[in-house]
Order: sequence, then structure tokens, then C-alpha cells
Amino acid sequence: MTTPLISGVLAGAILSGTSLLYATLGETIVERAGIVNLGLEGILLIGASTGFATAAATGSAWLGLLVAALAGGLANLLFGWLVVSRRANQLASGLAMMFFGFGLSALVGTPYVGAVIKGLPKWRPAWLAPLPWVRNSTLFNYDLLTWMALPVAVLVWWALFRTRWGLGVRAVGESPAAAFAAGRSPGLLQYQALGAGGVLGGLAGAHLSLSLTLTWAEYMTAGRGFIAIALVIFSKWHPLRAVAGALLFGGAEALQLQLQARGSDFSPFLLEMFPYLLTILVLLAWGGARRLAAPAGLGRTFYGSE
Amino acid sequence: MKQRLGSILTALALGLTAQAQTPRLVIGAVYVGGVNDYGYNRSFHDALTQVARDVPGVKLLEAENVPESGEAERVMEGMIQHGARLIFPTSFGYQDSARKTARRHPEVCFEYAGDGAATKNFGVFFGSTQAAWYPMGVAAGKMTKSNKLGFVLGLPIGYALGNVNAFQMGARSVNPKAQTVVVVTGGWSDKAKEAGAANALLDQGCDVVGMHVDSPATIIQAVEARGAMSIGFQSLEARALAPKGWITGLGFTWTPFFTRIANEVIAGKFRGEAVYQGLGQMVAVAPFGASVPADVQKLVNAAAAKVANGFNPFTGPLRNNQGSMVLPNGATVGADQMGDMNWYVEGVIGKVR
Repeated sequence: MTTPLISGVLAGAILSGTSLLYATLGETIVERAGIVNLGLEGILLIGASTGFATAAATGSAWLGLLVAALAGGLANLLFGWLVVSRRANQLASGLAMMFFGFGLSALVGTPYVGAVIKGLPKWRPAWLAPLPWVRNSTLFNYDLLTWMALPVAVLVWWALFRTRWGLGVRAVGESPAAAFAAGRSPGLLQYQALGAGGVLGGLAGAHLSLSLTLTWAEYMTAGRGFIAIALVIFSKWHPLRAVAGALLFGGAEALQLQLQARGSDFSPFLLEMFPYLLTILVLLAWGGARRLAAPAGLGRTFYGSE
Repeated sequence: MKQRLGSILTALALGLTAQAQTPRLVIGAVYVGGVNDYGYNRSFHDALTQVARDVPGVKLLEAENVPESGEAERVMEGMIQHGARLIFPTSFGYQDSARKTARRHPEVCFEYAGDGAATKNFGVFFGSTQAAWYPMGVAAGKMTKSNKLGFVLGLPIGYALGNVNAFQMGARSVNPKAQTVVVVTGGWSDKAKEAGAANALLDQGCDVVGMHVDSPATIIQAVEARGAMSIGFQSLEARALAPKGWITGLGFTWTPFFTRIANEVIAGKFRGEAVYQGLGQMVAVAPFGASVPADVQKLVNAAAAKVANGFNPFTGPLRNNQGSMVLPNGATVGADQMGDMNWYVEGVIGKVR
């Protein structure tokens, strides 16, 4: 029984897009507050390894998920201490955080390499099971993180664009001085954005180790943190467009694997390049549009009101 | 940062283990990954631990996660300072570091897992797995119901293509309808893509999946979760990952060779040689899974015995999967020429790029 190409690609896109989406949503919140975290790859790795180590040590994938989220949040707060409180350069600090993440995740994960864990439980609605094209694929057989991916994207959109908190975060990202003059505390809002973004980054890593692969290996994220940073730009700092972006990037990977499994002659390298070409096209087409531009204060350090 | 941390930890580990009473032989082992990976690194760790238990007076120093850079040289120097007289650089990428260190220390013996020339104190060895995949194909060809077998490859190097080809030829020998579908992930350890590749193969109706990546754990578990069967590689222990779908697999058995080398070094008779051994020596068939019927086990064991006794599946006439003759009648590809293989045999679905 073979599955149609479209359902295979969709299934693969959703599986590999889940972690991309969480990471992108996290980075979107952070960048909306005016901070670029190039260390996202390290945050993902910390989430993946602490989550896996906890699940292996305690036997509970749920506990692993919790620890991964906390570890991701804490790592981002540490980054916040560098760039908000100590006003260090964001790009340099981000790269330092990435290497910190490599080292820390390896240190935490090494004793658990090869451990066998029971991953996050998966659940498929009973009324979908009789359909053969569903039963013979991974479609709709998801863990909590995948089921919640879309609701979380809507939640992030709502928090950023429909709440007073989100207005404050976006104001800080555009002009910290103006936000400060309006009575908001830029530092506090940035810490909050970093904490939330770190939790989402930790969950993204946990999805890789606790559900998708059920293993820990050093540098297992293989660049997904950087893809997520590209996705933030691709989606023009918007949480709902990030859903489309994550599916597209995840789908490109799934498509090339599915085409190979069908014996197609199409070059897998060309397909892997496709999302990046699209990112460049998006930048060319809408790069200059004011409404879709990056937060004006992105990457700039706020030195206070003096 | 990562490397700095690694070297501090290595120094610490060496310092802690250096204080025992003088052994007859200290063996140093350098690994590129963690030893508990159900794969490549674990196979060396298991064998050397066995040697340290079996041969009296042998002490083992191990360094894990050593990058294939100048770092490896420093780790080997550290081991020599702590008394190591036999060193196993177990990853292909250690070649330069190991050869340099060996030239500086003619009193230390090296056994390098790779290829190239052997010298007086520098031996080269590896297990030839290609022909050993033939009995794996026999197992898969008998167990499949869809007649579609899947194979996940890290990178399409000649040795890996040889594994796939022998697998397909073994399957064809018992099942004329068998095909092998290959998916290349583009790296030896990209776990998320390995899961995606396994899912893509199962989506296409493959019901048995083999692999050539560093650690088979992700693929075996992904296949098991969807109720299909797997053939493992790199470690004889991977059966634990698939209680239902495990058929059999190939692993490395380095212990007899390592024991011989350790005894030679102790007796002062070590001479570097190039040693490549296949099924029955450095390579072994893993235990069968519960679902494999006795008659299939018998067929697989017979095919394995045939290969161990010198049968070479890479004997012409052989056509590639484009239909052209690649090996004329009677011509063969030996274990030492596998690195140059650049074609898939008839029945493999995939293209060498």
C-alpha cells in the first residue's frame, strides 16, 4: 500500500515543521521586542538534550518536556542579562550563546547517548483511523506539541497584536525610548519576551529528541535554529505567516525524501535550496514595504533615557 | 568552546585514571562520538572492554567525542604520557593526527580503523561489510510481503553503495520480485532527516528497512512505531530497540583481532599490517528477532556461511540499474576496491549522484 505523494509530503512537512514553528514563534516574539538572538540553535540543543536526559533518567517524557521548556527559558534569560542588563552587543552575545549551547547540551546529553526512552504519547482521533490513506501514514497521529502547534501560533499572534502587553513589546522593538516615555519598562518587557521565546525554543528542541527521533546526538538540530531565524524574516515577523513558512520549509525537506523514495530523478540538492531561494524572493519583493519591515529598533541597544 | 571543554574533561579523566599500579599494557582508545550510541563507537568500546577483561594486566584509557582535528593528536599525546603503548584511533578522520603521532613515537603501536599504508608501528584494519549484506538481503527478501525493501544511506560513498548492492542481490537470490529503494539523507548523523527518510520509505510501501548511518537507533524506532521490520547495522545490540520488527542485522566483532594485537604488543612482536576481514571474522550476524521463522533463519545462516567461505556476490555478469553491463562475466569487485563503486545494481531504485 503506497500513500499519495501529497499526503506523504504533508505528513512529513507537519512532522519536521513542528519544531521549526515553535522555534520561529519564539524568535518572532524576541525580535518583536527588538532583540536578535543568533544563539537560537544553542537554545534548541539545550532543550533537546535536557529534555532527553530528563526523560531517560526519570522515565517521564512529560517531565522532560517541562525541563526542556524551563531550560530554554533560563538560557534566554541569561542571554537577556548579557544584552539587556549588561548592554552587550547582541550579535556577538548571540554567537557566544550558540557555542555555550553546543557545549552545555553535549555535557548534559553525553551520559544518555543511546538511552532508550518512551517518547511523548501520540494520539489519533478514532474517526480518522478507518481511512486507509491516513492509517498508512503518520498523518493525524501526533503528540501534544504537534496538535498544539497551530493554537500556539494563534496564541502568540493574539498576545502580540491584541493585548496591552503585546503593544508594549512591539513598541519596545520599534522605539524603546518612546515606549519608556509612555511609561513602559523596556528592560522588563524584553526579559519577558526573551523568557517566552526561550520556552518555545526549548519546546522546539524537545520535539526533536522526545518525539521525532527518540535519540540524543551531539548537534542533532543540524542547523534548524538558523532556518528558524530565516523563517522569522520570511514570515515578516508575523506568527501566522510563520505557520505557512514552517510548513513550506518542512515540506521541502519532506518532498526531497519522498521523491527519492519514489525513485525520482529530481536533484535533492535543488529542492533543499528552494526555501532559501523563496526567502530571497520575499526579501526582494517586500523588503522595502514599511508595513512589513523589521522592527525599527531591532538589534539596537537601549542605553536608557539619559 | 566545545573542544576546550572536551580537552579539559579528557585531561581530568586521564589524570584520574593514571594512578593505578603499573599494568603490563595500557591501551588508549580515541572515539569520535559517545560510546553508548548503539552503533559504531559502541562496537569498539565493547571489544576493548572485553580485551581489558580477558588479557591479564591490560588497562584501558578511553576518550569520547574527540573531534577529527589537531585535538585528536593532543589526546593521543596525553594517552602516551600516561603510559599508553597501543593506541586505537577508531575514526577515519584521525588518519593525519594518528600518523603524525606514530612518527614521533616509534615505541608506541597504533591500530587505525581506516585505510592507507601500514608501517612498522602503524597497523591499519577494518571490517568488510559489503558481502556480509548479502545474507541480510536473503533475510529481507524472505520476510517482505510487499517485495519493496527500503535502505537509508547517510552519504553515497562507494562502501555504502556496496552494502546496498549486496543487500539487493541477496534479496533477489530468494525473491525475484524484490526491489530496494534508497533514500540518501546527506549526513551520517542527521537524526530528523533519518526519521523523515524512514517514513518516506514506509509511505512508499516498503516493509523492511536497512540502513547505513552512524547509529541505527532513530530509524529502527521510527520503523518499529509504524509496525514495519528492520535490519540493523553497526552494533549487535540494536535488537533491543525493536522488540516486534527486528529481523537481524550486522555488527562488528573486533575482540579476537584486538586480543591478538594486544598479546603481540605485550610480547614485543607487533608489526603493522593492513588487515581487512569480513563476515565470520570482524563482521557478525546479529541474533534473529522473534518473528523470523526457522526456515528463513536457516537460509540466512547458509548464505552467511557461503560468504564467510569466500563467496563474492560482486561477480559478473552484473548489470547496473540503468541496464548497462558493469561487470562482465567472471569479473569481480574485491573488498579493497569497494571505495570506488559508483553504481547501483539492477533492482535498486535510486540514482548515484
